[in-house]
Amino acid sequence: MSKKYLQELEPGYTPLTVCEEASRCLLCLDAPCSKDCPAGTDPGRFIRAVRFRNFKGAAEVVRENNVLGSICARVCPTERYCQKGCARSGIDVPIDIGRIQRFITDFEETNGMKILKKGKPNGKRVAIIGSGPAALQAAASLARLGYEINLYEKEAKAGGYLRYGIPEYRLPTHIVDKEIEYVTELGVKIHLNTTVGKDISLDKLKSDNDAVIVAVGASYGKMLPKFENNPHVEIAVDFLKRVKDSKGQVDLPDNILVIGGGDVAMDVNVTLKLLGVKNISDVVYEEFCEFRASKKELRDAQALGVSIIDGYVPVDVDGKTVTFKHRTIPGEVKITADKIILAVGQYPNVCGLEGIRIVNGESDIKGYVTTDPKVFVAGDIAHLDKTVVAAVRTGKDVASLIHSRIGGR
Amino acid sequence: MIKKDLSINFLGVRFPNPFCLSSSPVGNCYEMCKKAYGAGWGGVVFKTMGYYNFVVDEVSPRFDKLNKENTPFVGFKNMEQIAEHPLDENLADIRRLKKEFPYQVLIASIMGSNDKEWEELARLAEEAGADMLEMNLSCPQMTSHAMGSDVGTNPDLCRRYCQAVKRGSKLPVLAKMTPNITDMIPVAIACLEGGADGIAAINTVKSICNIDLDRKVGMPIINGKSSISGYSGKAVKPIALRFIQQMRADERLKNVAISGIGGIETWEDAVEFILVGSSTLQITTAIMQYGYRIIDDLRNGLMHYMDEQGVDHLSDLVGLANDNLIPAEELDRDYKIYPEINVDECIKCGRCYISCYDGAHQAIKWDADKRLPSVNKEKCVGCLLCYHVCPSGAIKMGEIAFKPGRQGQRKAEDIIH
Repeated sequence: MSKKYLQELEPGYTPLTVCEEASRCLLCLDAPCSKDCPAGTDPGRFIRAVRFRNFKGAAEVVRENNVLGSICARVCPTERYCQKGCARSGIDVPIDIGRIQRFITDFEETNGMKILKKGKPNGKRVAIIGSGPAALQAAASLARLGYEINLYEKEAKAGGYLRYGIPEYRLPTHIVDKEIEYVTELGVKIHLNTTVGKDISLDKLKSDNDAVIVAVGASYGKMLPKFENNPHVEIAVDFLKRVKDSKGQVDLPDNILVIGGGDVAMDVNVTLKLLGVKNISDVVYEEFCEFRASKKELRDAQALGVSIIDGYVPVDVDGKTVTFKHRTIPGEVKITADKIILAVGQYPNVCGLEGIRIVNGESDIKGYVTTDPKVFVAGDIAHLDKTVVAAVRTGKDVASLIHSRIGGR
Repeated sequence: MIKKDLSINFLGVRFPNPFCLSSSPVGNCYEMCKKAYGAGWGGVVFKTMGYYNFVVDEVSPRFDKLNKENTPFVGFKNMEQIAEHPLDENLADIRRLKKEFPYQVLIASIMGSNDKEWEELARLAEEAGADMLEMNLSCPQMTSHAMGSDVGTNPDLCRRYCQAVKRGSKLPVLAKMTPNITDMIPVAIACLEGGADGIAAINTVKSICNIDLDRKVGMPIINGKSSISGYSGKAVKPIALRFIQQMRADERLKNVAISGIGGIETWEDAVEFILVGSSTLQITTAIMQYGYRIIDDLRNGLMHYMDEQGVDHLSDLVGLANDNLIPAEELDRDYKIYPEINVDECIKCGRCYISCYDGAHQAIKWDADKRLPSVNKEKCVGCLLCYHVCPSGAIKMGEIAFKPGRQGQRKAEDIIH
């Protein structure tokens, strides 16, 4: 049953179809798409390069801006960003920018291009805690400026949520491996199985480095009090990690209840369907008009036959049976399932990292600095959208902030 | 971002890269040329200057375009003549541009209607600081028959005007050819005899793009009428490449310096012009459609190509295809290549069957139940029309069959690349 899960759900473009899509682009003046990417991607420029058959140049445009260009191409909710202002919408539908970017980065990989270059050593060292998107981008940005970079990752493999959270059908592991390789090729060292605060202290990192970036991510899934200690309940991020680790080899019952309406919930829904689960009901607090999940992910889940019930709150849990009440209309729904998966948000764990506190699942940090002048933050614990592209943005921002503060020879 | 030296020496002038605006609406004034230089163009051929007494009086509207399916600008028709600004204003613009952009090339395009005007225009352009002159012997939409492509088909007149220009200036001179002629070679030779140093080819092709079906008038309609005028853009590229190749293949013109013009839009087009012998390149239609910014991918794409080819000097690429274009009677006619249909990639549209039956040799069999084509080798002549019409790339060049008794020593890899 895992075959479908292991294949990319959306087919990539071919050289022919990418040119067709690029030729739909209107090559606008002051292109709106190029103003709406948190990571500063310039789709107007790379689509133009594709249009004029300069695929290698297009790859340079993408890669020099974003070391995770191939990952973002696959997972970015582009309808919220670059595609939002696409002038083509005035004729029919926006350009599929993500898929064009995916073709370009795949082309780059197939052709073995080495676009990013390590900077001339500037004698400064930076330690980064975590190896998710923010950490990887900060590492790449600083390594290109000549910094010596060490990453500390608690897990056995690097990538954070990219590796353990985003399902294989949406983000193949080999893509994550490839982009981490682009980072390590810049001389960045990654220390695996190393928890800061346990295996190495923050003080030690501070004394060995000119700056420390905390980019630990919100990798822990939230629990709701009513569901605590219920043996039928699994937290969404734990479930997704289990499936990805085992390459889809997990036993699942026929009837599953999912609770949550964000991208993680949709990832769970689609994963379950691709693994062959017959009946899935997803009950969501938000109504459709206020959904947080990207439209594409919602569409994928619905197309695969997931039943999504919007506007309901769980009010009572009795083993496998959950009772929901509508938020505004009087009425309730009772669902009994063999398994319940909770996708109601994540929080970061900063245990052992004194100086950063978590309040209501968010860090108390404003911006990228902490009370300690040597310690910076990036990723989920800096306050931005919890998307990969926003994490990349924080990585770039914190890198340029550090560069402006400590500079280099 | 890749960095490669794209500079080239052309008739003693160093071009930072081979890409120039051609003499046309895109290089009509100081502001336009300034923006083009800023965008990274290697040179500008400033829009053709006529003599003091020639008054340009343009029509409105003045353009038309040819579309095919959903692709606009397959070809472009233009009725504009030479520069509409007074000569002194153009010369002042050239002076100012050369002062501000000393390292980018400025070529002054000129057009007189008699010896004296040609000579005087050459002198004035050199005085204004131009690096090179281009003689416009080829504009097909002039309102005077003593100017433009009517002159460019007359070798004697071309020779004479080249002599006049050389009397007026010491600058290197390009003679710009009209394609509205069967054989360009006598004109090109006459120009070189007259003192021209190199050839610019091609100017636009005389055309009618479309006819308005209701009003029975060519397009664009100007008070109920229209005229034949110059056609440019991607559609003329094959014609331009042919003329350039023919000149380079002629013993008397071997290694002639050429500035290639005609439908260049991408770096791949540019490379084609270089491979048939162009050292510099000129572009208008693609700029009119997309703007000066196309220089980004022209330059970057050419750098990547040089990198792939292991070439450090652009000049090493000039003319590399010339010897591979030979007369039809010298081609190897000993074999045919059968198409190979990959069933897994076939999308079952049947277009190969239709084209083979109606346009070739009825050599594709069609399984109507499975909707699958196959090749009948008895009938197939190896024309490969099917390969060209297949929309999914499922048809490739397959088995090579030698005609009876004509085996030869060639290997498959020599024949199919």
